[in-house]
Amino acid sequence: MNALSVQKVSKVYNKTVQALRDITFEIREGELFGLVGPDGAGKSTLFNILTTLLLPDSGDIKILDMDLIADYKAVRQVIGYLPGTFSLYPDLSVKENLDFFAVMYKSDIEANMDLIRPIWRQIEPFSKRKAGKLSGGMKQKLALCCALIHRPRILFLDEPTTGVDPVSRKEFWEILQAIRTQGITVLVSTPYMDEATLCDRIALIQNGSILGIDTPEAIMKHFRGSLYTFRSADIFSLLNALKQCPLQCNYYPYGEHCHIAFYEDMEKAMPQFLQFLEEQHQEHGEITAIQPSIEDCFIEIVKMNSHE
Amino acid sequence: MRTILILIKKEFLQVFRNPLLLSILIVAPMVQFMIFPFCADYEIKVLDIAFIDHDRSNISQEIIHSFDASDIFVTHGILSNKKEANEMMKHDKVDIIVEFPAHFERLLMNGSPTRIAITANAINTTKAGIGVGYTQEIIGGYMQEYMAQNMHYSGNEIPANLNLSHIYWYNEQMNYKNLIVPGILVILVTLIGCYVTALNLVREKEIGTIEQVNVTPIRRWQFLLGKMIPFWILGMAEFILGLVIMKLVFGITVQGSIPMLLGITAIYLFVMLGLGFFISSVSENQLQAMFIVLFLFIIFVLLSGLFTPTEGMPKWAHYINYLNPMSFYMEVIKKVVLKGSAFISVQKETLVLVGMAIIVNTGAILSYQEKSK
Repeated sequence: MNALSVQKVSKVYNKTVQALRDITFEIREGELFGLVGPDGAGKSTLFNILTTLLLPDSGDIKILDMDLIADYKAVRQVIGYLPGTFSLYPDLSVKENLDFFAVMYKSDIEANMDLIRPIWRQIEPFSKRKAGKLSGGMKQKLALCCALIHRPRILFLDEPTTGVDPVSRKEFWEILQAIRTQGITVLVSTPYMDEATLCDRIALIQNGSILGIDTPEAIMKHFRGSLYTFRSADIFSLLNALKQCPLQCNYYPYGEHCHIAFYEDMEKAMPQFLQFLEEQHQEHGEITAIQPSIEDCFIEIVKMNSHE
Repeated sequence: MRTILILIKKEFLQVFRNPLLLSILIVAPMVQFMIFPFCADYEIKVLDIAFIDHDRSNISQEIIHSFDASDIFVTHGILSNKKEANEMMKHDKVDIIVEFPAHFERLLMNGSPTRIAITANAINTTKAGIGVGYTQEIIGGYMQEYMAQNMHYSGNEIPANLNLSHIYWYNEQMNYKNLIVPGILVILVTLIGCYVTALNLVREKEIGTIEQVNVTPIRRWQFLLGKMIPFWILGMAEFILGLVIMKLVFGITVQGSIPMLLGITAIYLFVMLGLGFFISSVSENQLQAMFIVLFLFIIFVLLSGLFTPTEGMPKWAHYINYLNPMSFYMEVIKKVVLKGSAFISVQKETLVLVGMAIIVNTGAILSYQEKSK
């Protein structure tokens, strides 16, 4: 049985903004599924629809074989949702928030303590503190506890690590892996490409459309070009110069480096490229072939889709 | 049940942790009660009056003399013509001019129609209104006495053929505290019911907690009830606090039945709570909600007869007032608190409020469901 099945879901805001376009994907039970895409790709809209907060314009969604729209009451009992922004009561204490949401889900804290204990243990010392006075990481953990308190079968996390420091991010992903071992299906969205590799499967989403769904390994394997990286003294002038490049290629800044993917026979193309750089008077560091990261793959897929 | 109880508990925890809101709830009624009635004191201490007498009869002279006996009126004699009178009024020397027509006494005795014209300086409408009221009272009083003595007539009526230009005015004792103080009660209950509720719910929207609650399996009506009950209790507590202050500070006791007053207030609060919810469901943020509440609140207050008598309003304003829950409640408060009316004389208002409560709350639940499925 699929934990989640989304068929041709579309959503238009104010009759003009196409937030989602024919979104179709399935998540298997127990899977850790990542939704990867830049800001404004439609991730939050999709989350709002999947968590019964927003109605889609068209399409069909099934959660654990229940129709999302017709059975929304039953659906709410089996899903947990961690929104993108902290949305617990800041003027209630940590414990009061947890109690409140436990009752909202008609759930019992004690009965589900084993599920949240590893997280709860970290915030328990602050249980009398107002939720609004917690640090960012602690808020996130409390929100996760509240979203898990009724032992949902699917957990939705909308950009849980945005704005979180690298150490806490790593910790958070470890928690997600642990939750998953409890048999909970997890759908998580993130704008960080490096986190995508931590998922079982990922869907790349851009401008309201899904560009590709696969395991991170498969996506990286399907990189079509030959990828090279090199440094440049003046990356801006380099990128400008590359506009003139006669070769079939896709280039973009990547940190302090420039990544360039060629869609040519490299034995012929590389000398041509070196000659081109020389003609353009571009100084550059050593050009090395590298394995594409998930981000490179994403950029390639976006590029391919924009050509089609 | 457990769900609603924890919603109520949560709401009270939040109210009691919000020092600003709490102090507003307690301090606001006190401040309003202490300041407002004294500022809005409409009692008039001095009225300048002059007369034009085209009749020069016994009656007209006696009526003029009867004004001398009053503490409020300062008489400025009998003027020769209208022009002089207008001049005096223009220069603020007189507030009221009473003009007796020629043959006044003879016409009155014959039973022919005649009239005394009362002209008031209406720059200060309140003063003019009260001045005219006083003047009518004095003339009317004289006429009754006169009739009793000379015509062996002992009714409360002034002669039917005498027409005193008529302005209707409530509150014969001219004690405006009696009107203002219960009015403040109405304002308090309205503020808690509508304003605080609307802002509270919109705040949940702003900080996103409403979404977090919406993804839980609780029902809309449970959520709304969990919001309504705490604010309903707060509103009732505020009302009782107001009644206590009214008694302690102004010595105004509720003339009618207190349980009945509380019952009708409970209904009125539900109207206001529903309205607050409705406003919050159409507002995106607290600022928008605030503007809508303020807009409605001013209309409600102005039309409700708190500051201005509703009887003096044009017809169309009366029609708008049929939609104004505050005016019905104001009527109830006036009748029950001041006059001690029984339920029979406020049952129309009560029924209207019940109807409004049902309509407004249905609207609130529907608009709320529409937004969040």
